[in-house]
Amino acid sequence: MSTSESTTLLQGTLDLLILKSLATGEMHGLGVSRRIEQITGGTFVVKPGSLFPALHRMEEEGWISSFWGESENNRRAKYYRLTKPGRRQLETETKRWSRISVAIARVLEAS
Amino acid sequence: MPLFAKGRSLLRNLLSRRRVDADLDREVRAHLDLLIDENLRAGMGRAQAERAARLELGGVEQVKEQVRDHRLGNWLQSVFGDVRYALRQLRKNPGFTTVAILTLALGIGANTAIFSVVDGVLLRSLPYRDPGRLVMVWERNSVVGNPYNTVSPPNFLDWQVRNSVFSGMAYVCDVRNNLTGQGEPEEVVVQAVSANFFSVIGVEPILGAGFTPENGTKGHDDVVVLSFSLWQRRFAGDPKIIGKSILLNGKPQTVVGVAPENYAWLVKDGSLTGGKPQIWTPFVFPPAYAVHKDMGRFISVVARLKPDVTLAAARSQMKSIATQLEIEYPNANRHWGVNVVPMAEQVSGSLKPALLVLFGAVLFVLLIACANLSGLLLARAGGREREIAVRTAIGASSWRITRQLLVESMVLAILGGVAGGALAIWGTNALLAATPSNLLELRAVRVNVRVLLFSTLCTLTAGLLFGFVPSYFTAWSRSAQRLREAGRGTSAAVRSVAARNVFVIGQLSLALVLLVGSGLLVRSFLRLVAVEPGFQVKNLLTFKVTLPDARYSTDSARVQLFQQLLAKIAAIPGVSSVSMESFPPLTGLGAATDVHVLSQPAGPHGELPGANVRVVGSDYLRTMGIPLRAGRFFTPQELQEEKHVTIVNHAFVDKYLNGTQPLGQKLAIYMKSLTESELTPSEVIGVVGDVHQMGLDATPDPTVYWPHPELVMSQMTVLVRTSSDPIPMVPAIRDELHQLDTELPMASVATMEQLLGDSLARSRFTMLLLGVFAGFALLLAAIGIYGLIAYSVTQRTQELGVRMALGAQMEDILRLVLAQGARLIVAGAVLGTVAAAGLSQLMKSLLFAVQPLDPFTLSAVPLFLSLIAFAACYVPARRATKVDPMVALRYE
Repeated sequence: MSTSESTTLLQGTLDLLILKSLATGEMHGLGVSRRIEQITGGTFVVKPGSLFPALHRMEEEGWISSFWGESENNRRAKYYRLTKPGRRQLETETKRWSRISVAIARVLEAS
Repeated sequence: MPLFAKGRSLLRNLLSRRRVDADLDREVRAHLDLLIDENLRAGMGRAQAERAARLELGGVEQVKEQVRDHRLGNWLQSVFGDVRYALRQLRKNPGFTTVAILTLALGIGANTAIFSVVDGVLLRSLPYRDPGRLVMVWERNSVVGNPYNTVSPPNFLDWQVRNSVFSGMAYVCDVRNNLTGQGEPEEVVVQAVSANFFSVIGVEPILGAGFTPENGTKGHDDVVVLSFSLWQRRFAGDPKIIGKSILLNGKPQTVVGVAPENYAWLVKDGSLTGGKPQIWTPFVFPPAYAVHKDMGRFISVVARLKPDVTLAAARSQMKSIATQLEIEYPNANRHWGVNVVPMAEQVSGSLKPALLVLFGAVLFVLLIACANLSGLLLARAGGREREIAVRTAIGASSWRITRQLLVESMVLAILGGVAGGALAIWGTNALLAATPSNLLELRAVRVNVRVLLFSTLCTLTAGLLFGFVPSYFTAWSRSAQRLREAGRGTSAAVRSVAARNVFVIGQLSLALVLLVGSGLLVRSFLRLVAVEPGFQVKNLLTFKVTLPDARYSTDSARVQLFQQLLAKIAAIPGVSSVSMESFPPLTGLGAATDVHVLSQPAGPHGELPGANVRVVGSDYLRTMGIPLRAGRFFTPQELQEEKHVTIVNHAFVDKYLNGTQPLGQKLAIYMKSLTESELTPSEVIGVVGDVHQMGLDATPDPTVYWPHPELVMSQMTVLVRTSSDPIPMVPAIRDELHQLDTELPMASVATMEQLLGDSLARSRFTMLLLGVFAGFALLLAAIGIYGLIAYSVTQRTQELGVRMALGAQMEDILRLVLAQGARLIVAGAVLGTVAAAGLSQLMKSLLFAVQPLDPFTLSAVPLFLSLIAFAACYVPARRATKVDPMVALRYE
């Protein structure tokens, strides 16, 4: 898992980011990667060496499915989209994340 | 459905690996192209765009490898990798591999073969409906002690009426009949049964309807059910056999059924026929059987427990019924109780101890084989220290290395298991071929699913057993140390030698236990063979002749035919004498009854002396070679008609006559009746030597001999003493028989030597088998200690070289190395002797005239084992003395 500006992703965060980016619609690997860069304002840069193992693992889990399609400039690329279990997973992950971030925020405020 | 998705992915990853890989390759390359496009759009030049894209991607192959690492089933694939690696390793060491696989194959093969017999004999399901509910019901005499005595018909009838625990009771009586018409006359084993017999045991004929209840009444009982093999052999499997008529003892009988092929009925040990039944026919009790309470005991009884009745409940009710019957009919039933035995126990009972001992023995052999392999693997691990060290240094975890080593031993175990399976199939067949035919009904023994499961379990357990310790020592000793120490005999190596020492001691002691067991059996067998049978065994031919009642209905006709037969055979050149006897010797067959010595006070039945009764013909003593101790043999007149005379044996005089003169004593022998007033007492006219009539392992019982006319039997065993090998004379003898009556078969032809051999067969078989296993165990243990000493000599080459350079003599070196072996041998011998002393108690029932703690065996066997093991140490010790100090010092 590589990040820029030495921001280390918490365990399980990459999954959440990928699920969230796919929630807006199907896209290929590069699209997912660019989308994450975009929404995190460049905080997280997901390199292919982390991205592809995650995508394949999530596909094996049944959260996303893949198909071959045409890219905007007519190149064949592998596209991913969320499945029903994937949406459920996104919901649980989101809730979990909110709980954690609230908890951590409290810890930080307390000091 | 995440689980479903996972399963599908796993299958896809494993099965269409190449397609998945190609897909991944295309995906990553497409990604690269997209990156290049992006860079081009950002205004880079072609070359720069490609370079930047590659930089961002970080290498197509690396990305693919990372995906593969995370893939489902990756673990399994890396195990496959380990397996391939293990196979390569094994191929590179053909010597080690061959020894290891052979050792395992023998261990697993022997276990599987013995287990298949155990399975067939102890675990198999009997070919009857719900066999767990079937019991045999015997009478048991509290004085004589035979727990499986056949039953008297009146008692059976009373049991049937009074019990409420059985849903059905049936009886069986073994007889031999002559089957004539259509081809050669032959004698067949017939079971005369109650009409409900087949319905009680739950066997349906494959052809015909079988017996109906009506067949159980007089006048409707001339029907038969044929065995499958008889139907095939004699009637060529005729599908229209039902309703046809066959001639049994000259009487026509209608065939009403053919029994299934796998069906067999227990033939009681020592039953009068001792063969597989070929025909079943209804046996209708005459009305007198219900009235007279004082008749013989000759039927076997089988019963089916009611569904809700336990064995204990049945036993207790039958016991109280037997007690009532003993009180109501003291004359017939004094001291007679009842014994209810589950069918399965009845079938396997006598074999169980031998089988369990053999089964224990092969388990020991497998354990020894595992210890041996563990030792070999540990030694080999010594040579692989560097390889393991390098793997650890470049990041393999200890678990990973343990796994790889365990996979290696599992691969070995599975190869050994497969070879062992093949060996077991061959071994089981060899076992069946070598098994004496009277040992057991082995048709049910074959390699089946249970046996294969057992074999697989053996294999996997063995792999774990022998792989665990070596992989533990190899993988978990500190790796940094190992890089420095590799190849030198230091701490890790020292610890693994300690483990190997333990293995060698274990092997030696296990082998010792087996050797002691086998030694005890050999001793026991030698004692058995050394027993003097009491008659001359060599050149004596025996065969049975049975006269059908239909044509030989009077006693005088029977006496006359046998007399003529003996006279005709005596005239054949080469026959030195001929006689006959009611039961063949050494087959465990005989009849026994109460005897009242008239000079002694009378007593109730059951408290009178008991004696075997044997009926004999002319020239009996000379033919058998039994010495006459006092008095005389029967005269020709006494052999022609009833003169009320008898001869007793030495045991009878010893046990019952208390030093009084035996000749002239009058005996009431309760054979023809149990009421003394109906008996004419017999006068003792002679005393003869004791004969082990029932078998070598049975002490000679008190016996009374009667001439044939005193108790005319329609079946006799003819004894022919010849001047040379009797077998070539069989055709001449058969001709004489057929001149008298063409329809009389010459049955159960055997020399006395064969009968003697058969009577020893079971002991010999167990002894040989255990001997083979013990020998194998000894060989493995010897290899084990040899391997260890040889290894440690190699490890100590440098040290030995230094010692020699400093002036140690050959003898010093020899002593040094041998002392190491001697310590192990002594430890193994002591441990093994203690274990053997404990375990040999389990063999008690297999031993004849030898105690389990036989001092000779317990001292000679450890000595023998020590000598062999010491010799195994001597070879590498010799080699150590040949070490050239200069070479040794440079060694490393």
